Amino acid sequence: MPLTVKTTEGCPANRRSSLVLAWLTAGALALGVAGCSTTDARRQPVLTGDLMVDGPNAIAHGPTRDRVLWEYRTATAAMRQGNYGLAKQYLDDGLTTLQGIYGPDKEARKARGYFHAEAKKTFIGEPYERSMAYIYRGILYWMDGEPDNARACFRSAEIEDSDTENHAYAGDWVLPDYLDGLATVKLSGDGSDAFKRAQGSAKGLRLPPYDPKANVLFFFEFGPGPTKYATGEYAEQLRFRTPVSPVRSARFKIDSLDVPVAPTDDVCFQAITRGGRLMDHILGNKAVFKSATDIAGDVGIVGGAATILGTGGRNATADEVGAGLIVAGIISKAVSAATTPEADIRSWDNLPHYLSFACMPLPPGPHTVTVEFLDAAGMPMPFLTKTVSFDVPADKDKVIFVSDQSLTPQKT
Amino acid sequence: MNLMKYGSFLAVAATAGLISGCASSGVRNPSGTPVTEMRADERGFVAGTGIESQDLLAVTDKMSHGILSIPQIANAQGTPRVVLDPVINETRFPINKDIFLTRIQADLISKANGKVTFLARERMAALEKERQMKQAGQVTSSSDPNVVEFKGADFFLTGKLSGLTTRTSQGTSDYILYTFELIDARTSDIIWQDSAEIKKQGLEDAAYR
Repeated sequence: MPLTVKTTEGCPANRRSSLVLAWLTAGALALGVAGCSTTDARRQPVLTGDLMVDGPNAIAHGPTRDRVLWEYRTATAAMRQGNYGLAKQYLDDGLTTLQGIYGPDKEARKARGYFHAEAKKTFIGEPYERSMAYIYRGILYWMDGEPDNARACFRSAEIEDSDTENHAYAGDWVLPDYLDGLATVKLSGDGSDAFKRAQGSAKGLRLPPYDPKANVLFFFEFGPGPTKYATGEYAEQLRFRTPVSPVRSARFKIDSLDVPVAPTDDVCFQAITRGGRLMDHILGNKAVFKSATDIAGDVGIVGGAATILGTGGRNATADEVGAGLIVAGIISKAVSAATTPEADIRSWDNLPHYLSFACMPLPPGPHTVTVEFLDAAGMPMPFLTKTVSFDVPADKDKVIFVSDQSLTPQKT
Repeated sequence: MNLMKYGSFLAVAATAGLISGCASSGVRNPSGTPVTEMRADERGFVAGTGIESQDLLAVTDKMSHGILSIPQIANAQGTPRVVLDPVINETRFPINKDIFLTRIQADLISKANGKVTFLARERMAALEKERQMKQAGQVTSSSDPNVVEFKGADFFLTGKLSGLTTRTSQGTSDYILYTFELIDARTSDIIWQDSAEIKKQGLEDAAYR
């Protein structure tokens, strides 16, 4: 029905003005609610699809809140290209941010507010991502002949995973505990406790006892890792997509040896077993608030319009009440629209699905290893076969990192 | 008229709210925080539960004072020679392991008035090369290069960093025990040992939990 219904007391003008004012007021308030959100002056970079280009560009010029995310991603890509110096640089910076995240944080506080998305906070990753950052850094420390600093990283990896909702899944990475013990043994300590913890977490897998003379350490990773997505009416529920890995195991050949490699850790399992986050409750509350204000807005607008139209413009007080209801309704709708309960789905999206490890004693000098990645039927996937040539030094361990995404051939 | 007044008031209030609200809630420190020079023993505004400069200074100051007061150094006949042996890191924090001993060494050299000498064992490769060039006559020598003059150590200075970590929904707690010792190179006796303890706790914002 048109709003210019003819009345007897000159009320159309009054009603029009009340409605105009209502809309103006609500519009201004809606702008006030929605327009105050701030943006990072640094913009999202244009992506080329090449992480070794996009990563450094995003780190240097992209939003500061995403810096650690790009450092993680780029470090992984760099490791797969054998550019370990660059990986160290980015992981060190990312871990420095991670280690200093304690205490009040302006951006994190905003992310908890109704009108800022969770993704506005500085990214440090979910616990499985933080653990992986430490695991990669640990591998790099060992590569540099610093097994005690490597052990420190493996211990931190377990600590990051220690605050799970279900304590059965707390600190249940296998490899970090196993390597903690191995480093301890190599440093003339007792690694038996760490070994027991690792064996306890390695369900269905019998871990080899430590060999202090094993001077060549192989780290393997394969398969696509977990990513995040959101569900719920307002995308407020964080979920993890865990793709089935086409690669299920590996095998490597060195000198006359042919060694099978079973997965030791499942990164996807680590992602989904953390349980609920405190932030999930906050996002849930945001979603309830968004829904409630939306419904309240509908009620206000419909009720106000019905009040005004119901009087036929003959009752100035009712018109004022109706206009007030419409204003309140529009404000409520604006508040609802400005409420952002969306979960943060920024993901370290080039993590592997599986981690594994092997070590053996080899004489100093040049060696070449060929690594085959095997499918579910145990057949090699030829296009994934990697070859790495390396020299075993006489005075420290040699660490070889091989991913199914690694460049090949490599010489380290 | 009442309606007009009511509406006008709301519109003004909303506009004022819009302007003032936006002005007050921007990015904090939009231009960043200027570089602030701090004392190394000061706890900065960027802090974690790990090993930081104020811990390093507190621990190494205590250790160098302790070493200077032991009789084997204070009353030594001649000048004891000390070699640094890298500390063992048993914490969950990767560290530059040389930094503790380097600072203790610098502190001792500056305060000991020649009571103790350190041997530059980490430079042995370069020193050996220099000696070989002297032996080959490639460079001049002020003494017979065939006579070994590299000194042996009387003591080894080393240490260990051990840690205990607790992480719960209430936060993270890190306790670190710093232990340093001076070992007699001839007898393997530990002639001096001292320790320092530092415990830190922190809780990250709920947005990260």
